[in-house]
Amino acid sequence: MISLEKIQEMLFEQGYITEPQIVMAVFLSMKLQKPLLIEGPAGVGKTEIAKVMAKALETDLIRLQCYEGLDASNALYEWNYQRQLLHLKVLEKQENLTIDDVETDIFGEKFLMKRPLLQAITHHKSPVLLIDEIDRADEEFESFLLEVLSDWQITIPEIGTIKATHIPQVVVTGNRVRELSEALRRRCLYLWIDYPDFEKELSILRNRLPEIDARLAEQICLFMQEIRKLRLEKTPGIAETLDWAMALSALHFDYLDKTLIEQTLGVILKDWKDIRQTQLSLTELYAKTGIVSKVDSL
Amino acid sequence: MIQRRTSLSENIIAFCRFLRQNDFTIGFEEEATALQALSFIPFQDSLQFKMCLMVTLCRDVRQLSKFDSLHHQYWKELDQAVDSKTKDSLDRNRSQNKQPSLQSLKSWLYGNQLQEEIQTAIHSAGEILVEQDFSTIPEDQIEEISERIREMAKWLANRVNRRHKKSNTRKVIDLKNTLRKNMRNGGELVNIQYKKPKKNKIKLILLCDVSKSMELYSIFLLQFMYAFQSVFKQIETFTFGTSLQKITKELQQNSFRKTLDDLSTTAQNWSGGTQIGKSLSTFVDNFGVQLLNKNTIVLIMSDGWDTGDLDILEESMRRIQQKSKKIIWLNPLAGSPNFEATAQGMQVAMPFVDIFAPVHNVLSLRNLVDFLH
Repeated sequence: MISLEKIQEMLFEQGYITEPQIVMAVFLSMKLQKPLLIEGPAGVGKTEIAKVMAKALETDLIRLQCYEGLDASNALYEWNYQRQLLHLKVLEKQENLTIDDVETDIFGEKFLMKRPLLQAITHHKSPVLLIDEIDRADEEFESFLLEVLSDWQITIPEIGTIKATHIPQVVVTGNRVRELSEALRRRCLYLWIDYPDFEKELSILRNRLPEIDARLAEQICLFMQEIRKLRLEKTPGIAETLDWAMALSALHFDYLDKTLIEQTLGVILKDWKDIRQTQLSLTELYAKTGIVSKVDSL
Repeated sequence: MIQRRTSLSENIIAFCRFLRQNDFTIGFEEEATALQALSFIPFQDSLQFKMCLMVTLCRDVRQLSKFDSLHHQYWKELDQAVDSKTKDSLDRNRSQNKQPSLQSLKSWLYGNQLQEEIQTAIHSAGEILVEQDFSTIPEDQIEEISERIREMAKWLANRVNRRHKKSNTRKVIDLKNTLRKNMRNGGELVNIQYKKPKKNKIKLILLCDVSKSMELYSIFLLQFMYAFQSVFKQIETFTFGTSLQKITKELQQNSFRKTLDDLSTTAQNWSGGTQIGKSLSTFVDNFGVQLLNKNTIVLIMSDGWDTGDLDILEESMRRIQQKSKKIIWLNPLAGSPNFEATAQGMQVAMPFVDIFAPVHNVLSLRNLVDFLH
């Protein structure tokens, strides 16, 4: 029996620091067997939710990464043409085979390459199906996906209709690159994840890097909170915070100072204009976060 | 699907109705989902109750941000209604057959009963709005006209999309390459090569003047253009007044109005003169390499009153023209019948502009679509 508390526990055990809202969304999507649509800025752990769900449910994660031009054959299935041709070539040597025999042979399971969607519905145990960055795919693909998500069956002309043995737990993520269709939104439960506040970020950091110095962790989080307030091209997410913290603690630093920040800015900012802009407002950032250079503190 | 029907379910349905009036897209299915979901959570926890409704009834960030206050408003009103009802039944407990009608809530919910009539009235008013200049639209109709623009743009974008669709979406075998690749197998076709029609999608750059006189026009233009996101490979939006700002990312999260408000609180010299030349040259310097190529259409929206250096404007226009496919200059003033390009900035820019068009009303926005391919 799934309960709210249990999900919270499961997520926590997997190292995912949650807000009640996220727990509720995950809980309801499991209970109601509805896809969960997660939106939010890059690097806040949207994809992570699906991974954690799969781990917590002790099932497999099947991932469909969307991109521009993704079409049904890349998402559903494809025949292994090369293998079919080779097989035909061998069959040629045998006589007394009818067309029917050859056909049933050649369109058999072993020549079928299952792509994520088909994999998901034929899986032996209800998997977590992650459809990542759906807004990158074309609108045609979105409507095709709607069809699959509502019927849970796929028709392959040569074989017939394959019905889902278990309905997968679906997580759809989006970055708001493009407006998603109303139809898709209506089929899903909705969750918005924003950048974490100071407390949450700190506990994520502590959870992921237990050995990190307490003061360093606090300083990093404080600094990240401030840096997100700048108008940047690519605002750093939690992933960047973790990278930075990992780098600094690997170098055995236990506090932030000016030189250190200037030298390692490239870990959190990935755009040269952002770096330039941040460098210009560093003094302001230092004042806000109370960071001093070694020279100052002496 | 729903086992028990209690007064709670009635209230939830009324709540859904209330949300619907506030631009939520909620149908019967969502109502059912919400009710079903509520049966899974502990009933007495009001926070969880709220979150549960939030997850099931909201569809995007904007709705999410509105939800809290609407939720509060509704249940407060409901409490009051229930209070008055209890008092009511104490007074005359004879009429026990009467269903709890929550009349006061209902009348509040529907505002006044003439909802439908009002809607039809608005619709016919909309026909007139099509040709009305944006600047003369009264404040209270702005919401409505932007709604209409969104709808129209969506429809047009779909049409453009269909028109451009390649007829052969299925894979086409590239015989020449297939044969060549399979020489090593003694001419046996093992490895099949495919060819795909090359897709050259157009990129669109929007440069919008947001000085006070232009602001409203810019808002409508952006609302219109954003419906075409699926038609273009990429749309990047910049605003300029005295300096250039890139707002593509902000627009993904917020409405244009909110973005503008944020901008005006952060920009230091907001209400200075317009410096088109300087802004355009910043644009070419910083984004030219990254964004401009022969598949880029640059759309500039301004009245051409430049208070800065005209030489810089000329130079930047030349550079943009060299690097892009097409420059479209939209001037809201051009809508008036006795318009002449008298603004100095406009005269300097004119030689580099491929298409010059007005955008002053809904109709002219609609005509804009023909220039985009």
